[in-house]
Amino acid sequence: MYQTVKFALAADLKMSEIILNNPYLLLLLEHFGIDAPFQEKSVNTVCKENGLSTDLFLTFANLYNGVQYSPDEPPSFSDIMAIIGFLKNSHKFYSDEIYPGILSTIRLMAKVNDHREMTLVQKFFVDYFSEVTEHLDYEDKVVFPYVLTLYGQISENKPPEPGVEYSVQQYKEHHNDIEEKLNDLKSLLIKYLPQKNDFAIRRKLLFDLSELEYDLIIHSKIEDLILIPLVARMESFLKEGG
Amino acid sequence: MNVNVNIIVVETSPLVSEGLAGLLNKSGLKCQFSFIDSLGELELSYAKRKFEIVVINPSYVQNNSKTFNSIRNRLINVRWIGLVYAWHDPELLSLFDSVITISDTSDSVANKITKLISDENQQGHSPSQDLLSEREIDVLKLLAAGKANKEIADKLNISINTVISHRKNISQKTGIKSVSGLTIYAVVQKHVSIESLSE
Repeated sequence: MYQTVKFALAADLKMSEIILNNPYLLLLLEHFGIDAPFQEKSVNTVCKENGLSTDLFLTFANLYNGVQYSPDEPPSFSDIMAIIGFLKNSHKFYSDEIYPGILSTIRLMAKVNDHREMTLVQKFFVDYFSEVTEHLDYEDKVVFPYVLTLYGQISENKPPEPGVEYSVQQYKEHHNDIEEKLNDLKSLLIKYLPQKNDFAIRRKLLFDLSELEYDLIIHSKIEDLILIPLVARMESFLKEGG
Repeated sequence: MNVNVNIIVVETSPLVSEGLAGLLNKSGLKCQFSFIDSLGELELSYAKRKFEIVVINPSYVQNNSKTFNSIRNRLINVRWIGLVYAWHDPELLSLFDSVITISDTSDSVANKITKLISDENQQGHSPSQDLLSEREIDVLKLLAAGKANKEIADKLNISINTVISHRKNISQKTGIKSVSGLTIYAVVQKHVSIESLSE
């Protein structure tokens, strides 16, 4: 994981400066669908130009910077679109880019080292990948549409549809720990797996796994600390009839 | 005991930390003290000067248990004492190797420290502590063979709780929690052969 200077981010800082300090913020912006170059613009200006709440951006960006930050006002219901968009984009990033990349590194490793443990490692990762895919699919197909329905009801001032028994509480329970097996893989890689002198492959795999782990930790924080409380507030708002 | 004990005290109140140092100097136990006021400074202090004992106010650990556990895993030669002068959850206190309270006498504090240090000398912190015991290897082999806790308990004639505690120790030592990860470990360490694995 790239070591950054941990400092609390604020609205009037230059966007380019905070990214140069912590390059992962570029990925964060990508998940929000915002692209460089930023020239001399402040965080606030970039957010405004892209219709993103500055407070929401700062909450996420501070998580990436390792700082627990909560704005005076909790996120508003209308922020939900940006949050869901962010989560969907990061799912796509995991499944289209990160996981296939790691898998091909593991395959390369198996090719260079033809001992049979590597087939187990490959199977381990493939199984893990399908668990993760299942989890991401569940969010994309069940949780997010549910949340968008809630938001639709709130913005159109409609009463809650009867018969929708689902609640975010169920999601909380379903929300299991997908970081554990990544850790297992890192331990195996560094502590136990014999390898021929393929420094580059082992290093690449360790770096990729650590980066993914870091992103996943923040991803679950966003879901636990921001999404779930916000949806719970939406649910009770609807229950009380607005 | 004639050893010199290096103690680091993590506490913001000078009254408490200096009081503790004074109390221990009175007991006749030879101690060197350093003082810091947060968990975050601990590892840097250790790199500069080794210590065997950390005396820490449990409230610094309360909302930092992840940081605490990871520091603990890295500083394997250090023993942790909770310094208690307010009410704390028993579960929190169980994280420490020992606990001293505000009402302890100078002798009882010295005894607790001596005991921790001598426990450690007896165990003789060798690398073999990180290796699995024979019993743990038995459990590991059955896990790799796809057996559930209950089956493992029956086979080895031990209780399910014992199986669970073996599994906990195995994961702690190896850094691997999932059964499929442990299976790979078992194969790499040649505890089981790859052919014996059932699909």
